Amino acid sequence: MDIRKDLVAASATPIVLSILRHGDSYGYAIIKRVREVSGDRIAWTDGMLYPVLHRLEAAGFVRATWKTADNGRRRKYYRITRQGEAELDHLREQWDVVHSALERLAGPGTIGT
Amino acid sequence: MFDLESQIRKWRRHVQSAGSLGVQDAEELESHLRDTIDELTGRGVSVEEAFILSVRRMGDTDTLHNEFAKVSTENVWRQLLVPAADEAARRRERTEIAVVLALALLGGLLGKLPALFGHPVAELSAVVYARNASLFAFPPVAIYLIWKRALPLRFSAVAALVFAAFAVAVNVYPSYAPHHTQALTIIHVPIALLLVLTVLYGGPGWRKPELRLDFVRFAGEVFIYAVLLGLGGLVLVGVSGATFSLVGIDLTPLIANWLAVFGICGVAVVAAYLVEKKKGAIETIAPVLARIFTPLFAVLLLGLIITMALTGQAPSEDRELLIMFDIVLALVLGLVLYTMSARDAEKRADWWDGIVLALVVLAFAANAIAFSGIIVRLSTYGFSPNKSAALGENILLMINLGVLAVGYYRFLTGRVSYQTVIDWQMRYLPIHSGWATVVALGFPLLFGFA
Repeated sequence: MDIRKDLVAASATPIVLSILRHGDSYGYAIIKRVREVSGDRIAWTDGMLYPVLHRLEAAGFVRATWKTADNGRRRKYYRITRQGEAELDHLREQWDVVHSALERLAGPGTIGT
Repeated sequence: MFDLESQIRKWRRHVQSAGSLGVQDAEELESHLRDTIDELTGRGVSVEEAFILSVRRMGDTDTLHNEFAKVSTENVWRQLLVPAADEAARRRERTEIAVVLALALLGGLLGKLPALFGHPVAELSAVVYARNASLFAFPPVAIYLIWKRALPLRFSAVAALVFAAFAVAVNVYPSYAPHHTQALTIIHVPIALLLVLTVLYGGPGWRKPELRLDFVRFAGEVFIYAVLLGLGGLVLVGVSGATFSLVGIDLTPLIANWLAVFGICGVAVVAAYLVEKKKGAIETIAPVLARIFTPLFAVLLLGLIITMALTGQAPSEDRELLIMFDIVLALVLGLVLYTMSARDAEKRADWWDGIVLALVVLAFAANAIAFSGIIVRLSTYGFSPNKSAALGENILLMINLGVLAVGYYRFLTGRVSYQTVIDWQMRYLPIHSGWATVVALGFPLLFGFA
């Protein structure tokens, strides 16, 4: 199943922030995690994650630090800020509203009630 | 064989080339690319295939650039100043900045040495400063390279020896009117000493042509940075001088005696640090400069040839003509070197290489026309130091351009690879430094210091 581009763009921020709420992470691991939880149905172009991360950083939702991994590779780790958590709560509320509206509309006998 | 490292380097250069990605962005993407490659090879995919798959997963470069350009509110310079993250790297960085500042200061102190020997900064002692200029500016760069590359002791020893020998020679040699050999020394010492920096830049592998090409790129970028820094410094000094004079304080002695000396002598090592630190930002400027000036120079040379053919006479002053042509040929060689350093050696020949070939051929032809007239008259008037130096350089440059032309032609017709042309040119470069050494140190002895 291909998810439409605009939906991917809109959902990227809450997805990334949700992953970071469970702990600091770096780009490669974030992408992997997204694939895992969506059963490979959400597949981002790898490179596109980074502009998203940098935009979140510029907005103050995440903070980045370089760390050296055990194998000597330098990685940029992202950590969610308090502001980012507030933003995530806010976004989830919006998604919940949309989600429940869709659910109710999809259910039986919704027309005219 | 598939060379992963060089492929990654090439990929990274490609990703960085449009300019919206900074060094750190590229590093982050590279780290991601390597992680993906590791994962794929771990699953049994071959390295080559893993690389291609990972690059494809990374996405289309143009889209990537657009996305990055939207975010990138920070410019190149800020990226330079962002401190590295982990503690060890940060400490290394601080040490490096301290070393560079100390070396810049050392350059300034070297520049004050003549004052100790009774040559204050004044018009009278301009010659003293001129002949020592590269001996003030180069040693800090040399020390920086030795430190940065942690070179074995023998490199430091040889470099120190060469610098010392030059310092003694240029200052102990007497100079008699009309001071021609002294002027030659002033011009040729920097060219000769560049060889020392080439060796230090390359370290133990300095004989490899690709490292020498890296040095050419490095030297060109250091030059651009130094000019930019110099311009900035000039503005700063001018503004502060003007402001202070408004309140009745004359800063001129301070500026001339201290700021100018420390600024000029220290700028080279600071520029070298910036280039080492920030590989890539200027890399996008040098090719642009080469692209603008290569056709312009070709047109200029064509005009020159036509003029000489129409008027049927070469200028009568042999020496000046020779020197003028030396400068033109050196500039052409510089342009070709710039182009070379910016070109991907594995890219196939295109129309641009044709323009470069045209430039080289035109330069060679113009020089040959002027040269043939001079050689006859030279033999009747005998050899002065200036004429001999100019003639020697002219011949060396002609051979250089001649073989470059042949190399480019063979490359364009598909008989040799571009790498062969590069290799040949890189092997030829030290000859110029060698001749410069002969002129700088040998000519004064040969011509009785006149």
